[in-house]
This record gives sequence, C-alpha cells and structure tokens, in this order.
Amino acid sequence: MSISLIFNILAFIVICVLIFIILSKNSRLNQTRGSLLKLKKSFNELDEQAKLIVKTDLELNKAQEESDKRLGGLEALHKTSRLISTTLDENEIFHRLNESLQTNLDFDKMLILFYDERKQLKPRVNVGYAPEGIEYILNGLKKDSSLLEALTQGHIFSSVAAATQRKKAIQNIFGSEHFVLSPILTQNGLIGIAFVGNQSSAAAVTEGDEEILSILANQIGQSLENARLFEQVYRSSRALESKVQDRTKQLEDALAEVKKISKTKSDFISAVSHELRTPLTSIKGYAAILITGKLGEIPEKVKERLEKINLHSDNLVNLINELLDISRIESGRVEMKMTEHDLRQTAENVHDLLTPQMKNKNINWELNVDKNVPNMIYDSSQVERIFINLVGNAVKFTPENGTISVKATWDKEKDLVEIGVSDTGIGIPEDDLGKLFSEFFRVDNKINQNVKGTGLGLALAKKIVEAHHGEIWVTSTVNQGTTFHFTLPVKPKKAEAPAAQPAQPSKNK
Amino acid sequence: MATHIAIGSSQTVDTLTATKEAAQKIKSSLQSTKPDLVLIFSTIHHDPDTIAQAIDNLFPGSKAIGCSSAGIIFSEKIMTNGIGILAIASDEMKFGIGAVSDITPTNIRMAGSDLAKNIVADFGQHGRHVCLFFIDGEIADSSLLLKGVQEVLGNVFPLVGAGSCDDFHFKKNFQIFGSQALEMSACGLIMGGQMSVGVSGRHGWRPLGKPRVITQAEGNIIKTIDGKKASHLYEEYFDEAYQDLRATQLGQMSILYPLGIFIEESNHFLLRNAIDILEDGSIVCQGGVPDGSEVHIMIGNKDSCKEAASEAAQEAHNNLLGKKAKLVIIIESMSRLKLLGRGAILEIAKIREIFGQDIPVFGMYAHGEICPFESVERIKKPYLQNESMVVLAVN
Repeated sequence: MSISLIFNILAFIVICVLIFIILSKNSRLNQTRGSLLKLKKSFNELDEQAKLIVKTDLELNKAQEESDKRLGGLEALHKTSRLISTTLDENEIFHRLNESLQTNLDFDKMLILFYDERKQLKPRVNVGYAPEGIEYILNGLKKDSSLLEALTQGHIFSSVAAATQRKKAIQNIFGSEHFVLSPILTQNGLIGIAFVGNQSSAAAVTEGDEEILSILANQIGQSLENARLFEQVYRSSRALESKVQDRTKQLEDALAEVKKISKTKSDFISAVSHELRTPLTSIKGYAAILITGKLGEIPEKVKERLEKINLHSDNLVNLINELLDISRIESGRVEMKMTEHDLRQTAENVHDLLTPQMKNKNINWELNVDKNVPNMIYDSSQVERIFINLVGNAVKFTPENGTISVKATWDKEKDLVEIGVSDTGIGIPEDDLGKLFSEFFRVDNKINQNVKGTGLGLALAKKIVEAHHGEIWVTSTVNQGTTFHFTLPVKPKKAEAPAAQPAQPSKNK
Repeated sequence: MATHIAIGSSQTVDTLTATKEAAQKIKSSLQSTKPDLVLIFSTIHHDPDTIAQAIDNLFPGSKAIGCSSAGIIFSEKIMTNGIGILAIASDEMKFGIGAVSDITPTNIRMAGSDLAKNIVADFGQHGRHVCLFFIDGEIADSSLLLKGVQEVLGNVFPLVGAGSCDDFHFKKNFQIFGSQALEMSACGLIMGGQMSVGVSGRHGWRPLGKPRVITQAEGNIIKTIDGKKASHLYEEYFDEAYQDLRATQLGQMSILYPLGIFIEESNHFLLRNAIDILEDGSIVCQGGVPDGSEVHIMIGNKDSCKEAASEAAQEAHNNLLGKKAKLVIIIESMSRLKLLGRGAILEIAKIREIFGQDIPVFGMYAHGEICPFESVERIKKPYLQNESMVVLAVN
C-alpha cells in the first residue's frame, strides 16, 4: 500500500515536474518564437531600409555617373574644340575630328555627314559604320524629309527625349538603340548633321550627351565656316595674285618691247644725227663763205636768206647735239666724270653764264644753298647742263623784273641734296606737267610760239639726273611760277646711264 | 644580373602607329636590351591582328601575351582608349607562356588544364612563383577554367587571372598570344626564377539587407533564393519586373549591387555579377555558385573601393616580406572603373602610397578577376571574383 502510494506520489510529482518542464519549455519556445518573430521583423525592416538605401544609392550613382559623363564630355569637347579651331584647312578639321572623337568620346557609332557642292550629304567622319550601312542611312534620310526639315530648323533629337515615332525612325535609319542626332548649322543654314549612338543599354545616352553633341556640332559649324571663309579669301587672294602676276608679266614684256624700241630709236637718232651733222657742217660752211662775199658780191636779199640758212643750221646743229647727248647718255656711251664739287660754285657758274639774259629782263637772282650742304660728287659739266636748262627755261618764261631762285637743302638721313629752281613765270598747266620731260614736248604757250626750242632740254636734264641716281619733278601754278626739283646723292654710286625707257610722267610732289 | 622594366603607351587612333609609338617608348627606355616578356593591353578600339603582328615584328623573339580591356592602368593615368605595353628584360626572372583556343561551354575545364600544361611546358624546370592568365570575358563560367588550371598547378598555387573585355558593351574582346590575336581563348604566363611576388585581392563591398539562402543552384546559375525564383531578389530591391530589369538596368544593377556569397567561417564574401536573367527568373553569374550558400545584395562606394585598394596593396606589400617591389601589376574589375568614374586614378594613388611614388604600375580593367582568396582552410586559394582589385607586386 505504502509502496503503491509512494509510487503514485512520485508519479504525480514526476508528472507535475514534467508538466512544469513542458510548460516552462513551451514558455521559452513562445519566447523564442517571439524573439524569432521580432528578429524576422527586424530583418524585414532592415531589408526595407536596405531597399531604400539601394534606391537612394542608385539615384546618387546615376547622378554621379551623369556628372562624370558631363565632365568627361566637356573635357572631350574642350580637346576637340581646341584641335579643330587651330586649323583653317577643312580636310584637316575632319581628320582631327575623326581622331579626337574616337579617342575622347565613348560611342559605338559616330557619323558626321556634310553637304557637298552638289547639295548631297557625304560622310566625313565615320566610326562604326560599314559603307553599305552609310548608304542605308543616306537613303533613309532622303526618304525622311521631315527629319531633315526639323534638323534644318535646329531641332536636336535623342533617344532620351525624342517623341516615340521620331525616335523609332532615327533608330531605324542609324541602326542604334541609343542616340543623339544634332544639326550642324551656320549662318547659311544646315551644312551637315552629327550622330552618336550606342547599342547597349549599359551605355545608354543621357541628356548630358545631348548637350555635349549640340555644343560640339556648333563648334564644328563655326570651325568649318571659318575654314570656308578663309578658303574663299585665300582663293580670291590667289586669283588676285595670279592676275597681278599676269599683268606684271604683260607690263614687263611691254617694257622690254618699249626698251627695245627706245634703243632702236636712240640708235637710229644717233646714226641719223651723225649722218646729218656732216652735210650740215658743209651747208653751214658754204653759207658762211657765201655771206663773207669772198666768192663774189651777193645781193642783200640773198644775204638775208643765207643768214637764215646759217641761223637755222645752228639750230639744227644744237638739236642734233642734244639728241646725240640724250642718245649717248641712254646708251651709256657717256662716261660721267665723278669728282668732288661745291654745288654753290656750280650754280654760280651757271648764273655767270646766263647773267646777260637775266640783265636784259632785269630778273632778280637768288641763290640759297644751305650752309650744311656738303661738297658733292658729280660730273660738273653735266650738272651745269641741268642748271643751264632749268635756269635757261626760267629766264625764258619769267617776265621782266621777275625772280629766279635756286635753293638747295641737305637730307642728312638719305644723304642727298634736293635742289629747287623756281621762277615767277607764267607757270605750266597741270595737264602738261606729266608730259614735260618727254622728248620734243613743248608746252603750247605764246612764249614757246615765239621762241624756238628743241623740246629736248628737260628730257636731257632728266637723263643726267637719273644717271646720277637722282630724281627730277616739277610743281607749278599757272601765272604764279614753276619750280623744278631734283635730287643728287652726296656720294653716288658710280654714275651710270639710265636704262633706255620711254618718257615718264613727272612726279608731282 | 639585372631586371629592366619599361612601360609604353599611345592613344593614336591608327593601330599600327599606336603600337609602334608605345613600342618606341619601351625601346628608348630599354636601349638595346631585348625584352624577355611583353605584356600588351589594348582597348577594343584597336585591331588585335595588327597589334599582335606589330609586336611580333617589333620585339622578335620576346614572349608576348595580352588582351583587350575596358581601360589600361598606368602610374599616373588611366586610358580608356589606347594601347599599353609592359616589357621586362631580366636574367633573374624566367617566363613561360601558353594559350588555348576554341573554348566552348563543354570544354572549359579541360581548356584550363591545357592552358596550364602549355604554360608549364614553355616555362621549363624553374622555380614557379605566380601564374597570370587572361580568359575571354564572354566565357560563361570562368571558374571552371580556373579549376582546370588548378588541376595542373595545384589548388594553392598563386593564380592571378582576368577576363578580357570591351568597353562595357559585352560584345567582343580578344586575347593576344605571340603573333596571334585570339577570341574565345585564354592565354597566360608563369613567372619564376630569382624573384618573389606578393599578391592580394580586395573588393570593398559590404552586405546589405537580410541574409538569404541559395536554395537551388547549378554551376554558375542561381535558380532559387529562399525558395523563390532568384530574380525576385533584385525585383524586390529595384521594384521592377525582371524582364524590365534585364532590358534596362541589368548592367548598372550588376555593377553596383552584386551578389555576395558568404564563405563559411570567413569574414569574406565572394562577389558575383549577374550577367543575365533567364526567362524562368534564374540569375546567371560569371562564376560558380555553391548550392545552400548564404547570399546578400552587396553595396559599395568610392571610399570603400579606395580603402580596399589600399588594403590589397598593403597585403601584397607585406607578402613580399620586406623586399622592395620593382613592378606592380593590377587586375581590376571594369565595374570599379564604372563606379569610380573620373576618380578611378585615386585607387592607383592609394597603391602608390604603399609601394612608393616611383613604382611602375601597369594594369587593366577586367570582366572577372581571379586571385588567391582567404578560404576556410586559411590557405590562400584562388577564386574567381567580380568587382575586385588584385594587386600583384613583383620583386
């Protein structure tokens, strides 16, 4: 009994303990379940937070990538712009573009098309397209006139922003899923189009790409416009240069012909003069003998005629002598005797020579040679002939009581002396100034009509001045007077005969 | 006894000219010394046949291997368009090269084994220190090729590998072996002789969100996670159907938020990029994924990348056991280039801080990296990784 009781009590206790343990375990299990649920909830919350983090991070990364892309694009743009803006050769621009775009821009496909002279689009930069691919694109563009029209109006299209229909059309034409298509415009309108594209979604284009290509297209347009303007200017310049060269050649040929004719003329004059002088001397001699009456008394009227023969013979001899002098100087047959002289003295010598004529007309003589004028090297007999011709002319055309002045100044920098022979005569009409130094030219005025002259004096003076490497010109005011200016170097190179040339117009300073 | 190292580069568009320009810089630096090894990295913009033949002509008798890359790494710049060449002339170091071609999904492992055998045959009987090899990045499961290589060289032999790639289009890439340009191939070299190497790899990504379990996987395909179709993981996070993800965001998603496979008894995660999502929602990874593994979505940022670069460099430096590095070769994920963008050079700056500013640096951006990874056994066993940076320091 007692054993059974004890057993029952023990069994009861065991059952109670077991119940307690089970209850306790159950409680712990519930606690664990609760903890697990909490943990699971925490994990789920953590996961939700992670999703938020991913979304934020994704946006940040996209922004960062876009920023990097834009910076990279700007860098590429900067490099490309610098490269294409430093040349004005159109072909070189395209060559540099090709290199730069391949190196600096990361696109599968790049195509720059330009209108040629026949208004046909031609590829100038091509990355990633086979020839048949380009042919397909050109045909596609021809067919889609509205696309070209839109581009002409300055619209830029991209896979980011284009309308669905337009986007599909461009994708079809250019065979690229992601793209930017930009017009290249100048002041003359649409000159070409620029396209970049990627097929992979991993390298989809962005708004940044759109902006970059737009700027690049502008830069290309500007560079090409500059190059084309330069080309036009260059071509015009070349054409002008060519014309100038042709004209110069024509003038040189003409000048050579003139020189040839002039030399022939000089030779002819020289020969004729020589041939004329001998019989003229005989004529003059016989006339002189007849005048003396040694061959018998001659009637007064015959004597008068013989004196006229004598006078005209003298004139003819003078003419022939001057022609011969010009001819000799032109042909270099006259050797200048270059020695040192005082210009003042030379002028005074001429004054002495012409004093009787000046006195006859009561002409005042003024000689003003600057004290700084140094002694000069020239052929004094020839320079005296210049003065004789110029002062002689001045005497001829200066009315009574007039003034003839000779002024000389030294140009130290050029080391030459400028001499002016001025009169207060009747002056020379402006139209005649240019012909004044031409051979046989005589100004048509009353004095010349009454006074005989050869028309060779000024031409001879010019030849002598030029033989000394000087210049001669004239300034004049009708009824006020005339000044003949000429320059002589202080120490000329060896004086030489000027090249035979036609009479040049005077240089009016 | 001496080792001469020269690096040349060119960004000229014409391939032949670019190769010649880069080679000329090397020749100027090496003078008349003939390089024993020429390592070539080129972006996809260049013609591989032209490069290979030009290198063969310019460096006759030198052993040459290389591959295409999304970018080429130098001490002071990163080129995303161009050609880079590293040349080593040494009577201390020994090199052996080899290649295998026509790799198909059915022969990947055998190809790895053949590759290693070819390299070993060329290397001869010298002391081996490290094997560097390049695999076509489009090969679906590169970890199988790794296993093949390990069958010949051993499970713990230091292997550094890289998947050759293009400029993020995942269309075509190439490998260079001697005068040949190859596709769907692998080429590699063994370095040995009187030298030492320090290798390390890091990624810098951290787990995000709650842990999940891969409930069904075959090779490199994850079929289900937590009993749901694998793509559900990304659909949840990106709030988009997997069809849309696949069409628009797969590249971005894969680069920024890879899957992290937790290795038991280790604090490290193996990273796997999702290279495709199949119709049934399975996720295709570049490397094998163990069934039953814990998996996380991973997240990284620029700072964590730079920190990882610094850690990898420090460990590689430590592995040299006090010897001064003469060259640093970097194999880095192209994803990091995408993530770091213009700041990618800052990682290289971190590495130079460890090895010294004058250290020659030559590297490439890869689609899948292989390097010794701390494993269960605490032995440095090579694994295929994504998103990582591998630093190979050569003394």
